[in-house]
Amino acid sequence: MAYKVDHEYDYLFKIVLIGDSGVGKSNILSRFTRNEFCLESKSTIGVEFATRTLQVEGKTVKAQIWDTAGQERYRAITSAYYRGAVGALLVYDITKRQTFDNVLRWLRELRDHADSNIVIMMAGNKSDLNHLRAVSTEDAQSLAESEGLSFMETSALEAFNIEKAFQTVLLDIYQIIRKKALAAQESASGTGVPQGTTINVNNMSDNANKKPCCST
Amino acid sequence: MDRSRGINDYEPGPVPSESRVDRYGFIKQNVSNSSAAEGLGKSREARRVRKWRKMIGVGGSDWKHYVRRKPHVVKRRIRKGIPDCLRGLVWQLISGSRDLLLMNPGVYEQLVIYETSASELDIIRDISRTFPTHVFFQQRHGPGQRSLYNVLKAYSVFDRAVGYVQGMGFLAGLLLLYMSEEDAFWLLVALLKGAVHAPMEGLYQVGLPLVQQYLFQFEHLVSEHLPKLGEHFSREMINPSMYASQWFITVFSYSFPFPLALRIWDVFLFEGVKIVFKVGLALLKYCHDDLINLSFEKLIHALRNFPEDAMNPDILLPMAYSIKVSRSLGESKIEYEKQNRKPKIEA
Repeated sequence: MAYKVDHEYDYLFKIVLIGDSGVGKSNILSRFTRNEFCLESKSTIGVEFATRTLQVEGKTVKAQIWDTAGQERYRAITSAYYRGAVGALLVYDITKRQTFDNVLRWLRELRDHADSNIVIMMAGNKSDLNHLRAVSTEDAQSLAESEGLSFMETSALEAFNIEKAFQTVLLDIYQIIRKKALAAQESASGTGVPQGTTINVNNMSDNANKKPCCST
Repeated sequence: MDRSRGINDYEPGPVPSESRVDRYGFIKQNVSNSSAAEGLGKSREARRVRKWRKMIGVGGSDWKHYVRRKPHVVKRRIRKGIPDCLRGLVWQLISGSRDLLLMNPGVYEQLVIYETSASELDIIRDISRTFPTHVFFQQRHGPGQRSLYNVLKAYSVFDRAVGYVQGMGFLAGLLLLYMSEEDAFWLLVALLKGAVHAPMEGLYQVGLPLVQQYLFQFEHLVSEHLPKLGEHFSREMINPSMYASQWFITVFSYSFPFPLALRIWDVFLFEGVKIVFKVGLALLKYCHDDLINLSFEKLIHALRNFPEDAMNPDILLPMAYSIKVSRSLGESKIEYEKQNRKPKIEA
């Protein structure tokens, strides 16, 4: 779901938050969209949803984020939400090895249900619990490289790298879309067919106001 | 064989003072004037309790007789709400769990002490994430968390095919506020295995088949009872899985105000799952004129954050009772089964 609309925002990107239960997906979402963290949070049943609008390369981009229940049984409901997603934050917990070992299973889930060119960021969450670390940064990095994922360690509690992780995903998506648009433009002009709906890549919204968070 | 791996050490934590919790034991989010309203109804509540005590007899001895003789009186009284001090007992009587307990002496203890479950770590992970703002469950490794663990573990052994699924903790947690561990366990069994009403275990089985069926049926009900809203939802690409999964999976215990959840449970245990559909429809009906003007994102937000007046049980429940769903539920179930049989035959 990467729409270009000419009001409120320039682009709407659908992102899914996936990963094992208890790795901190819901707190990553609340940190990113409301700058909140809740130690007493309930486990997610089904799906949750929030949005945030921000600037990417001078464009106003709205991130529409679906947070999913992590327990395997719930994939019967949650996998429907992968459809149309252009980005995914695949989260594991750096203090729980199992949640990292399951990253490959989540990747398979995405490949089965999501768009083939979905942008994936692997996030090793709870970096504030370094003294309980069970997954080394190097291990994660090499997995990310071999699977072609972006990677970052994050802490929703300390608001560390949360912003950056989403920004990176959104920027990657934006660049893919821009490339596609340029390619479409070139092929269109090459055949001499007038192209009615090319995406304008000029900085037309440089001074667009940053939209406030849409979720309360 | 460890009784409760990881939950053994009792760590006394800070217990909030009484004034910081509401009458149900939840930490108050903000001080409201609800206690004044509660005081007003006290004498009426005492009269109700006397009536109820007469109806159920000592320890529930007259209950079955009374229900057989005057089922409509019982239904009417339950719909008005079971007195809080008798709730635990009455829930066990109407759900059929008391009979299960009596027929299976020693079984619970066996499940808790001597069996091991593949779900133990999953259960432990979620214990502190179940009713985290309730005093009983707040204390790390305290009595509330231990009971919750034991009930869930026992169930995951009792039915290994279902095991433990997120959401079950909210059912067990709600029950544990009104009864002992063993009673709560058997009530969970009565619900999931269908002692009185249709079994609920399909909500938690692989593929969550009953969740999918209920969501399908709910969508049908919306387009039948609130056709304009139904059209608006489909235009905005809103489907019930975005807002109603939790309603069914936890029977409104996950995120609804506790006084409302309890009143729904009173009726749910006596009349069955129909009330969940009715309450869902009543919520949409109550907020109809607002919802119909909202676009996708605002809709999702509104469907997860109903206004306080909509969640007043004395307003919402009478509205829910007036909605008829039986015929439509029957029809949509047949249709659901037809649709879900087809692909298998073609394949």
